[in-house]
Amino acid sequence: MSLAHYGFQKLVLLNSAGYSRAELPLDDSVSIIAPNNTGKTSLINALQFLLILDKRHMDFGAHSVENSRRFYFPDNSAYILLEVLLPSGMAVIGCVGKGLSHDYEYFAYQGSLDLEDYRLEDGKLVAQPKLMSRLFACGKPAKIYQQADLRALLYGNRQKQRSDDPDFTIFPLEFNSQAATYQRILTRTLRLDRLDSRQVKDYILEIFKNDLQDRNVDFKSEWDKSFADVNYDKSQYDAVFLNQELIARMEISQQLRRTLRGKIILWRPLIEQGLNEWEAYNRKTTDDLKEHLRALDEKVQDLDTRQKTIYKDQANAEASLKEQQIIEQKFQELTVQFAFVNDLAQLETQRGALQHQRDELVRIIGNAEQQQSPDAIKRNIAKLTKEQTELHGQLASLNDNLYLQLQKLLPANSFELLTRLLAKSVLSLPVAQGNAVVLNDSHSFQSFAAKLEDRLSSNQLQLPGLVLDLSALAPNLTIKTAQELETEIGDCDRQLVDLNQLLKTVETLSQQQQKQHALEREIVDLDKDITHYKDFLSLHRSASARLQLTHELKKKLEALDFEESTLADNKKAIAQAQKSHETKLKELQSQHQRINTARQQRLDQQSPFDFLEQLAFLPCMEAAELTMPTLADRIERYNADCRQLREIDSELNSQLSELHGYGINKFQLQDSSELELNALFAYTLNLSQEQAAIERKARSAVVQVAAILRDLRNSLETLKSRMREFNNKINKRQLSDLKVFKIEPREEEALVKAIQTLISTSEQVDSGNSFDLFDHNAVLDDKALNKAKDTLIKEGEARGGLRVEHLFRLVFIIAKENQTPAEFEDMDSAASNGTVLMAKLITGLAMLNQMQDPRKAIKTACYLDEAASLDQRNQRNLIEIAAGFGFTLIFASPEPQITARYCVPIGTTNGKNYISRLNWQILEPILASNLDERS
Amino acid sequence: MNIDLTKLSQLQPLFKLLSAGTHLNRLQDTELWVELESQRELYETLFAACGFTLVLDGRGFAYFKTDQASSYTGKLTRRLALLLMLLFEYQADQGLHLFQFQQWRLDNELIDKLWQHYHAVLEAEELTSQHLLKEIFDSAARIGFLVSEDGEYRLLPAVHRYLDLFEELAQAERSDHLHSEGELL
Ligand SMILES: Nc1ncnc2c1ncn2[C@@H]1O[C@H](COP(=O)(O)OP(=O)(O)OP(=O)(O)O)[C@@H](O)[C@H]1O
Ligand SMILES: [Mg+2]
Repeated sequence: MSLAHYGFQKLVLLNSAGYSRAELPLDDSVSIIAPNNTGKTSLINALQFLLILDKRHMDFGAHSVENSRRFYFPDNSAYILLEVLLPSGMAVIGCVGKGLSHDYEYFAYQGSLDLEDYRLEDGKLVAQPKLMSRLFACGKPAKIYQQADLRALLYGNRQKQRSDDPDFTIFPLEFNSQAATYQRILTRTLRLDRLDSRQVKDYILEIFKNDLQDRNVDFKSEWDKSFADVNYDKSQYDAVFLNQELIARMEISQQLRRTLRGKIILWRPLIEQGLNEWEAYNRKTTDDLKEHLRALDEKVQDLDTRQKTIYKDQANAEASLKEQQIIEQKFQELTVQFAFVNDLAQLETQRGALQHQRDELVRIIGNAEQQQSPDAIKRNIAKLTKEQTELHGQLASLNDNLYLQLQKLLPANSFELLTRLLAKSVLSLPVAQGNAVVLNDSHSFQSFAAKLEDRLSSNQLQLPGLVLDLSALAPNLTIKTAQELETEIGDCDRQLVDLNQLLKTVETLSQQQQKQHALEREIVDLDKDITHYKDFLSLHRSASARLQLTHELKKKLEALDFEESTLADNKKAIAQAQKSHETKLKELQSQHQRINTARQQRLDQQSPFDFLEQLAFLPCMEAAELTMPTLADRIERYNADCRQLREIDSELNSQLSELHGYGINKFQLQDSSELELNALFAYTLNLSQEQAAIERKARSAVVQVAAILRDLRNSLETLKSRMREFNNKINKRQLSDLKVFKIEPREEEALVKAIQTLISTSEQVDSGNSFDLFDHNAVLDDKALNKAKDTLIKEGEARGGLRVEHLFRLVFIIAKENQTPAEFEDMDSAASNGTVLMAKLITGLAMLNQMQDPRKAIKTACYLDEAASLDQRNQRNLIEIAAGFGFTLIFASPEPQITARYCVPIGTTNGKNYISRLNWQILEPILASNLDERS
Repeated sequence: MNIDLTKLSQLQPLFKLLSAGTHLNRLQDTELWVELESQRELYETLFAACGFTLVLDGRGFAYFKTDQASSYTGKLTRRLALLLMLLFEYQADQGLHLFQFQQWRLDNELIDKLWQHYHAVLEAEELTSQHLLKEIFDSAARIGFLVSEDGEYRLLPAVHRYLDLFEELAQAERSDHLHSEGELL
């Protein structure tokens, strides 16, 4: 504890702040005792001039700094003096008023603080102008310091010190750069006003600044820087990807273009030569063709003539043949007609018969026309018929008729008379069983005849009452012989036939007349037939000759037909030949025209054809032979190729500038647009590799960015561990009745998570075994990654950079016994006044201690105004905690605080406050063990 | 005290938002938040002079503290409180840490589950369909308690206000409980 000796010894005020003189011990805890409004606070505040130095940071409560200067430095013999024991020895730091301006200046010297040095023999205080010489005279050469220089001196800032200056470092800091922070915390700790988590955070950040690799990360620019290449490449990739189709088409065009160039290069000389030879060829071929055509015309004429002859011959032959056919036809008909005719005589005989029939008919008709009426004829016929019948009867009953019977049975006389009486027909009646006359008893009939004879006598018949002369009567029947009868019957028959014929003729005269005509017609017909038959005979005779003739005619026709058909073929062939020749001629003319046109339309004299060989081309492997007939086609194709080439040129150019429009400019640096295209095609071909390359770049960019973020995160981690240490520091002793009193960092979750996302992505990317990641999980499309990035960029932009301080906030965590810890942002609201006061003081002191160089501990002072609000236990704790941090505590209160080592009441003489070393009361524990028991 | 209004570059948007009862969230309204943080005292003073108490919670949200709410916000607040309470209860039952509520995703599935689970309670509050739940969330999103993203909601830091309230209530209940137990002894 030898080091504990170093530190503040005492504070002395001379003629300042209402004190004529004040001596305050500072080598241990002090309790300043005085009623209200005496000057306790004024005394403590005097330290500010020496410790805070910077007027801007001083705080005198309700009093302005201006008034305070007046108060503390009423004239040029007002002093605030601090005696400090330093490793280099005792030293005094002082502040002296300069007079009416109430200004003051700093001075310091090595040596102890002896109040006599400031007092003249007359009891007056040394005035500022004489101070230096006075001190020098006292063997304590002092030096006047500018406020800044003194500060440098007190905080051990060697760079700002002159080398001959003694070492006055009373705040040996680990880092001089923290002097300002130290002062600010000191000010605040001395003032003990509102301390909230944000202020603590600021101080903590300052305090641990050197542990943290905390730099302001302009995340967006870091990101953009790392991703500039990637983004460019990606934009190129995307644009190319989107335009793949177009590029593929362009590649085809380019291929075509090179092919076309090769083709044009191959054909150009041939075309040239062909055009030179064309005129001669054209003329000669035209002449040849015309000659051919003329010859063909002649042939056609010959054929026409022959054709006409053939037609005529054909007509004639056909007529003859037809004639023969008609004759033959007739012959055939006649043959049929006369199939049953043997010879001409037969016909003539037939004709004679007909002639006779007709003549007979003419006769009959002639008779009939002279004859009587048909009735008379009919009567004659009837008479004759009767006669005939009788005759037949007679003939039939010739052997047994009544006449004969009577003849046999009767006497001739009677018989004779009786025949006169009986009708001939009766007499002729046959006598036989079943006939009209039956003779069943010839006897009876003979007796009857004997009687009848009586009656008959000499030609008379006498009957009772009647006499009949029979003499006048001829006998009715004389029996003739059979022959006589048959002759008579024959005559009757003939007469009857004639009569019937006649009757018929008379009755059918018109018919007969018609029949006559028919007969006459028949005769005429037959006459015709006879003529025909004669023809037939003649035809028959000429049949073979005719057959011969027909045959010949047919042959002739066949020959003619054949000739005609060949003639047609011939003609067709010639026509075809003509046509083909004409076509050729026309074709030749059209070729000529086309060639002339094409010759004028040639493009190959202009750019780019005049330097085609210098451009990329595919040598054309066609067998390039040019014949005249193909010249037109060829030159047209050639021209078309040239045109197409030019179109492709301009199309490719416009497509290329379209691609430029889409932002594809990666290849624009190439020497020519064609090289640019080739580069583009190569790129497009390897697009997937490009993607992988971009992805790789993106990964390394992530790694790069993550490295910066890792610093941030590490700083945060460092800070967190520092905070843990810090909490241990302030928790060495229990504070008031607080079970828990911690100041903890709370991470800004979203930001820390975003950082973590980026870092862990980069770690995945970085580690060698994540090759499959390359294919599946593209960094550029990583949603979480992009979100994290956006979060950080947004935050960074709003804050003008990312720092560790943005990643956390501090909270006070406070809990009494049996309480769950609660978080507070503002300590004032966290607990009771006294507790809060203590907590603040400890926090402040701990922070100050944190900044001090632990190797050179110099005890300084801090104060707790209105100390009465703390109970003794807490006071004691506080004194010890402060001592642990290298501070002695100054309590100020109306009542003495017995926890302090010194009790210093403020006395008054001549209306001025006064404290002398003689008034100090030193309290010492009787027994250390007793005290321990009590606490 | 003189306030240099030109320093308060975001005064207008800030006041507009806050006075509408909206909660500002650190990461949602980064620019406004940073502004508020850096000029905190000035804003506090200025708003106080206008009769508003600005609360800037270190957990990442800010709002105007008001005692009486309009009947609309009152109703919304009540319903939102109910919904959030049910949500917290449900999530706690799932074994989730309540203070990590900012990481939760309130998607349709979760809303459905809430609905199924608490449907009787909700209907007592006249919340008769999932659609109405979403409407509440949407309204709450407008005043900065939630954000709607990709068709789902996320709770914003301002929800701490509710969570604090719930814990306070739970605490009170616990201590009541302890108290009565003590009396019994
Ligand atoms: N910085 C200053 N400038 C001018 N006058 C001051 C200053 N500090 C204190 N005084 C005056 O000194 C007198 C004593 O005040 P001081 O605050 O020191 O009393 P105190 O003993 O601390 O009283 P209390 O017990 O009420 O705190 C007061 O009249 C006050 O106006
Ligand atoms: Mg006081």
